[in-house]
Amino acid sequence: MADTSDLTARQIRRMKRFDNPWRNPKLMWGASLLLGIIALGLLGRLFWNLDLVFTGSAPLKLPPVGFENLRRQEGVWDHPLGTDGSGRDMLSLLIIGAPNSLMVGVLASLIGMSVGIFLGFSAGFLKGRVDDVIRVLSDVMITIPPLLILVVFQAAYGDVSLTMMAILIACFVWQSPTRLIRAQVLSMRESGYVQMARLSGASTLHIMFREMLPNLVPYLFGSFIANVTTSIVTAVGLEVLGLGPQRVPTLGRAIYEAINSGALIQNLWWWWGIPTILLAVMFIGLLLINLGLDEVSNPRLRKL
Amino acid sequence: MKAPRTLMLASAIALTAASGLLAQDVAREDTVIFDLDRTISDPENFNWFTAGTKREHGAHQAMWEPLFILNYTTGELDPWLATSITPNGDFSEWTMTLREGVEWSDGEAFDADDVVFTVQMVLGNEELSAREAATIRAQVASVEKIDNLTVKLTLNAPNPRFPTENFGVRIFGSFLIMPEHVWSAAENPATFAFYPPIGTGPYTYTSGATNRMIWDRNDDYWGARTGFQDLPAPQRLIWLETGGEESRAQLLATNQIDAAQNVSIGTFEAVQAQNPAVIAWHDGYPYAWPDPCARQMEINTTVAPWDDPAMRKAVAAIIDRSQIVNVAYEGTTVASETMFVQYGSMSPYIDAVKAAGYGLPARADVDAAQAAIEAAGYTMGSDGLYEKDGTDLSVNIHVNSASTEYTRTIDVIVEQLNRAGIAARAVPVENGVFWGEVLPFGGYEMSYSWLSCGSVNEPWTSMTRYTNASVVPVGERSPGFNNTARWDTDGAAAYTAIVDQMAGMASDDPALPGMVAEAYQHLDAEMPFVPLVQAAKLLPFNTTYWTGWPTADNAYNHPAFWWGHTHQIIHALEKAE
Repeated sequence: MADTSDLTARQIRRMKRFDNPWRNPKLMWGASLLLGIIALGLLGRLFWNLDLVFTGSAPLKLPPVGFENLRRQEGVWDHPLGTDGSGRDMLSLLIIGAPNSLMVGVLASLIGMSVGIFLGFSAGFLKGRVDDVIRVLSDVMITIPPLLILVVFQAAYGDVSLTMMAILIACFVWQSPTRLIRAQVLSMRESGYVQMARLSGASTLHIMFREMLPNLVPYLFGSFIANVTTSIVTAVGLEVLGLGPQRVPTLGRAIYEAINSGALIQNLWWWWGIPTILLAVMFIGLLLINLGLDEVSNPRLRKL
Repeated sequence: MKAPRTLMLASAIALTAASGLLAQDVAREDTVIFDLDRTISDPENFNWFTAGTKREHGAHQAMWEPLFILNYTTGELDPWLATSITPNGDFSEWTMTLREGVEWSDGEAFDADDVVFTVQMVLGNEELSAREAATIRAQVASVEKIDNLTVKLTLNAPNPRFPTENFGVRIFGSFLIMPEHVWSAAENPATFAFYPPIGTGPYTYTSGATNRMIWDRNDDYWGARTGFQDLPAPQRLIWLETGGEESRAQLLATNQIDAAQNVSIGTFEAVQAQNPAVIAWHDGYPYAWPDPCARQMEINTTVAPWDDPAMRKAVAAIIDRSQIVNVAYEGTTVASETMFVQYGSMSPYIDAVKAAGYGLPARADVDAAQAAIEAAGYTMGSDGLYEKDGTDLSVNIHVNSASTEYTRTIDVIVEQLNRAGIAARAVPVENGVFWGEVLPFGGYEMSYSWLSCGSVNEPWTSMTRYTNASVVPVGERSPGFNNTARWDTDGAAAYTAIVDQMAGMASDDPALPGMVAEAYQHLDAEMPFVPLVQAAKLLPFNTTYWTGWPTADNAYNHPAFWWGHTHQIIHALEKAE
């Protein structure tokens, strides 16, 4: 125990924070924003009638409680956040749509990361031909704008499920983690403990995934969160163009329909505004987590 | 007042500059800008006879003139390029007299040679597949020039409706006469692009792109010289693709467009609140004009399980028309009771069908539908969808994505079908693909359309679109979009026999309503298509620069400005004071 008698209580608190780098305020704020969205999805499913999310299940264009629409109708507690132009309840749309959007991002990113980890390690550790192939492939893929390809694909195949959309997006988010991990592994494979493991006859897979991978966890987390953000942006981009799943409610599709139905001129701000706010909350949450993880893995960024 | 004026002028100039046309600037107040809700896939092809080309970008509203124009208010044919058309005793020969002094915009005279040439060209070339051309081919046996201004058309069978059906712009377009001196040089009329185009109308083609067409006034218009019509007031007409309800509304509110395509009632009210100069057909609710093309869902009768009439009837029973009216149309239209448009002139036939018990209810009968589906061997799965042999009962419904009117209707139907246990899915398709590839070739299970459209004052025109004479295999083009459902059963044969008998009967024949009901029993029993709702078009017109738009109080004709009768609208426009 260090002598802390001449420090103020506040400084002591700050000092203690370093004991556990994971108790980072940015990280916690970001996580709680995302957990809030997940909680909205879970609790909403328990306490709200989700059948209201379907076309024609509620009166049209009702405003949120406390507001009035252009027809001088007032919001009602049956639909606290209002309804859209096809008679869908906004609250149930958010309860189902927000976790859906997050889910697509996480799923696409998980798939992309898994592929990226495997390829990155293989390239960095095995070098040679394998490295050449993987490096060239990821370098080529990274130059292709994903939205362009996905727009063409989805326009051609029409309606896709959320899972299918996540898999499609995953095809475009493995390159960055591959490159990142490859670079790390290249430097790491020369370090002492890896040489030691190799001398003691450990298998390649053991060295890659048991010895080296744990050291990369903060990196992987950061990359994962960045990928979730990219995937959500891509998914929402497709949805806003009307190319996402049709009957499955998503935030992007709500915005697409609002734009398509003249919601701006009719001042139906809750129709496009609330999904936009929720997306913003999601992105801010992800950004904070990313910044927090940066500080966790890089102590120089932490402030006293 | 000065600032917005400058702004508008600037945007008009920007428009002109964007067109690559700087030779002549036309002020905004001398220009009429019409809304186009379709993309012009091939702006340098004016061969209207072939699939994939357009007329509604100004070509048949400003450049090509029709022979007659059906006046929806009086029910009469207003003469235009022709002055009269008279039948022989049994309606099998028609003699048409053309107007004297009509000229093409290049100075050549328009006369009987042009009419004879165009009709003969269409008779001799199956590839000219436009609906109007297919109708002429089906009806006309031969055409003969009597003198420079007189043409005699001999028909295959007596037809008392011949002029209205072919030359009167009854629905959307009419058979347009093309200049012989240009088209006779074409090696194959089916591939001839007719660019640059010419016509007899008061406007000539100036420039075009995929999202707009610009037409400038021909001050040497024959009609003004002969005293047929005054020179129209607008110097320039522009058809501009606006793309979606929101941008359409913003353009209206800021006076950047004069006539807009259909908007929802909420949008219209919001636009009117911002710009009181915007008007519609009616002054108050429901504002909209009843379009004669009632909406329906076409079912491909060759695809299982929808080849079973019981399954088609089940789908019809699941559809709740009143919900479509309330949700998709926000109450601006009414549910269809039969296949016909609900105009007063159609009521004898509608009443006859209803009296015979074939009228459609506005509400759904899901229990009856589910009983029918279960009788066909389906069981309700745990996911709430019917299944047989491990596969869900599913259906894809193709819908033209050009308008939210269409997609919103199908969204409601998809929802209704899913709730009743059919895994329905909307397949939005781009306009050109929808009309060019999906519908005519039968490449769908169900589709949203208005293909029984045609009748406005007699029943035969709509009913003849579903006779079995028009049935072709899937993959071949349905003639004139008739019977794309490919309904070809014994019921269809019995139906065809009655409808064919109706063909030669005058529209005031007292036997007609009874025959309509008799034929309708087959439609009711087999449902090759499901009538949905009457179409209502809420078309905003802007009176900031131009007045004289057609309204219920000033109903010189109807307001569908993408139809060939728009000549009358353009001639009626006056500069706003």
